[in-house]
Amino acid sequence: MLTKDEQEKYARQIMLKGFGLTGQEKLKKARVFIAGAGGLGSSSATYLAAAGLGTLRIVDYDKVELSNLNRQVLHWPEDIGRKKVGSAKDKLKKLNPQVAVEAVEEKITQANISRLIAGCDLIVDAMDNLPTRYLLNKVAIEKNIPFFHGAVYGFEGRAMTVIPGKTACLRCVYRGTIPEETFPVIGVTPAVIGCIQATEVIKYIVGMGQLLANRLLIYDGLNMKFTEFKVEKDPNCPHCGQPAGDNK
Amino acid sequence: MSITINISPSMHHLTDGQTTVKVEGDNVGQCIEELIRRFPGLKPRIFDNRGKLRKYIDIYVNKESSFPKELVQPVKDGDELHIMLLVAGG
Repeated sequence: MLTKDEQEKYARQIMLKGFGLTGQEKLKKARVFIAGAGGLGSSSATYLAAAGLGTLRIVDYDKVELSNLNRQVLHWPEDIGRKKVGSAKDKLKKLNPQVAVEAVEEKITQANISRLIAGCDLIVDAMDNLPTRYLLNKVAIEKNIPFFHGAVYGFEGRAMTVIPGKTACLRCVYRGTIPEETFPVIGVTPAVIGCIQATEVIKYIVGMGQLLANRLLIYDGLNMKFTEFKVEKDPNCPHCGQPAGDNK
Repeated sequence: MSITINISPSMHHLTDGQTTVKVEGDNVGQCIEELIRRFPGLKPRIFDNRGKLRKYIDIYVNKESSFPKELVQPVKDGDELHIMLLVAGG
């Protein structure tokens, strides 16, 4: 049940056709796992908190550095040296005190991933490397948890939504990896992509619109173009193909 | 016979800033060969030192993935290729 205050706070989205009080109640019950409190995590978590998601579990093991501040807008100059999850939790709680924010300061690994995501309904991919994305994708498939992918580089970004058992997964589409690097990025790029991820999460929970399922969306900020690519489930995919592969 | 290749934004510095390049070819491999003839700096980004397509390169023909045929996939006049580089930042 929504309180009177909540009904007033979210009135402008509750009035959306197909959203209503029922949609808002679904958001309030949802538990979202946000993997990373960097650029993508900042924008996606901010808008999910503002929209009234019930619980956000944010996982990151990094500390805030000065060079993060051009894009990781949950972290401010006074946070330099703090754990990112603590800094993120403080801002999100100020933005929306009704949202439960679980700040988990751990590195996501094969060994702890199941424990970290336990109890969450959805996974937002706000990572900064492909191996951890693949790990999240794999566990999302195994545990039948929708997975909302995003990634950025410079002025370029991409997003895709994975519904296990129904749509192409990250490994159907991406086959390789790239060396970990200090990548160039302008803050508006993760802002755009994180907001697209948050939009997908809200649509999924409320049950509105068409998801980015079997569709890879590429954003080119320099030329201000969005291009959509059709992707398909790969029957030989090591994560979601049949029979199960080596799961690398 | 003209095929338009759209270059991933992170490779525009290797094509003198050109975002699209028109080439000719009967399949994806021939189109990329011509592209590399004109912009040799692209070669090490697209192929490894054994001449194999790098795993972080995705090629789309008319906005559909060309995997697993990739280089041998036939193309026809008016087709559009996208050469995309995986990105991983967050």
